Amino acid sequence: MRPLNLLALASVPALLAACGGQTTTGSTSVAATPAGNVQPIQVGSGPANNMVDGLLTSVTICVPNTSDCQTISGIQIDTGSVGLRILSSQVSLTLPRISAANGDPLGNCAAFADLSYAWGPMATADVKMANETAASVPIQLLGTPAFPGAPRLCSQCGTAANSLTSLGANGLLGIGVFRQDCGPACSGSPSSAPAIYFSCPNSTCSVTSVPLQNQLQNPVWLFPQDNNGVLIQLPSVPATGTSTLSGSLIFGIGTRANNALGSARVYMTDGNGELTTTFRGSAYPSYLDTGSDGLFFLDDSTTGLPACPGEDSGYYCPPATVAYTATNTGNNGTLAQVSFSIANAETLFQTGHVAFDNLGGPNSGEFDWGLPFFLGRSTFIGIEEQNSPAGAGPFFAY
Amino acid sequence: MLRHRCRARRSQGRRATARETPRARLRLVALAIVLSIGWLAAPRAWATLGQSAESIAADQRHLRGEVRSVAGAGFQMHEIASADGTTVRQYVSPAGTVFGLSWVGPTVPDLAQLLGPHFDEFRAGVSSPVRRHHPVAVRTEHLIIETGGHMRALRGRVYLPDLVPTSVPQAAIQ
Repeated sequence: MRPLNLLALASVPALLAACGGQTTTGSTSVAATPAGNVQPIQVGSGPANNMVDGLLTSVTICVPNTSDCQTISGIQIDTGSVGLRILSSQVSLTLPRISAANGDPLGNCAAFADLSYAWGPMATADVKMANETAASVPIQLLGTPAFPGAPRLCSQCGTAANSLTSLGANGLLGIGVFRQDCGPACSGSPSSAPAIYFSCPNSTCSVTSVPLQNQLQNPVWLFPQDNNGVLIQLPSVPATGTSTLSGSLIFGIGTRANNALGSARVYMTDGNGELTTTFRGSAYPSYLDTGSDGLFFLDDSTTGLPACPGEDSGYYCPPATVAYTATNTGNNGTLAQVSFSIANAETLFQTGHVAFDNLGGPNSGEFDWGLPFFLGRSTFIGIEEQNSPAGAGPFFAY
Repeated sequence: MLRHRCRARRSQGRRATARETPRARLRLVALAIVLSIGWLAAPRAWATLGQSAESIAADQRHLRGEVRSVAGAGFQMHEIASADGTTVRQYVSPAGTVFGLSWVGPTVPDLAQLLGPHFDEFRAGVSSPVRRHHPVAVRTEHLIIETGGHMRALRGRVYLPDLVPTSVPQAAIQ
């Protein structure tokens, strides 16, 4: 167990009281937003105080087309997924549910790289961040008591991300390079649909297909303006990390003075939303994912970096910090080097800090550029089929 | 390491134990030849981790789609591109044992089917009370489990290190 988790146990009751999710806190108030397209974000341990390098914000949801709204804090920003998913325990509004084509209740299952899963019914809400509003957005409610349990194919890997503790946040804001979580693969024939959307007439749910407009959406592309992507700006941190860090989630790319591409290089992605990272002469698929809490690449036999012992075996624990260089290449041929460092994870955790740019771990066969990549950078995420000064997405630019 | 190897083989049942003697090895070479011919004739044969390639065709029902079989250096790889968009690869040793599998796609494939008797060990190995927020790299008594990726492109591989042929680098499982 990380020292952080021990701290978390002592402070959980206070945090639960403070993070009811019903009201906007002063520092993240929409009214205090300096520009209409700037959403304040923070790097921290999250409302359950049980993670590191978590990128968090507040999101306002409303019953569609009404002023019946609530603001929920402690929502983790995840560029590795798409769709707004909120713990039902945090939602006081009664939101209209979305039905499957046959009229039965519709459930969604998200599987994550860490083998956790998010399961729950689909509902509709207006979604507001900064001064932007996306109307009637399909979202997912996690841990909904009166909804059938997760189907076997959804829950097979084990960890249900359906509570504050297990999710580590009050919700997930998926704003990756795609418009929908699943896309055309889920809108075709039900017989070939992946196990993502389920029709649930009773306690038994079965895989179904769902039209694109009823799938989970990246809310950004549904904004009436500033809807072609986002810019994530975060400051750099010292080698030992920091205990707090604030930045900006800016909507739109090249739509205003505050989101111009400037000198950023544009890396178009492939159909999976991926780049290629070349490291020591070998090429690997790669992606930029704020939802990953470190830089995850290769394994100890390739890097020579030992994994940490015990429960921290998902991180590297080198005896001394190691500096690396890799090359990222876009589908459009753009390429440039990335320099990064990997420090001893257990030494980092012992600082009690929560924002690190040199935390990493093993990940055989691919490069997961997690939250540390975004520190000290301005990173653009271009949404598929949305036009921008760099052309239509999907792309990353930095 | 050796002790692990013995334990792993015992758990694989009679077929694995039989491999301890040279005569059994000869029989297995013959079996491998037969199996290779079998693959050519019936490339849709499918299998479960740690079991023999010819023993289980039932998995195929769960993995509808186009099958491709490729001969690797010291192993045979069966790849199926499922109708639901997930690609599963199974790696079979010359002795006819499935020693590893991998997947990439929008969902994790039916691992109870693909891992067979190793599914419970897999579940126990990856079980976590809270989200990890990063790829999984877990070694259990018999399995190495690694997963990663992101929405629309989840990746993973599970293999039995004690059953990977010595001539096959673990990086071959991908």
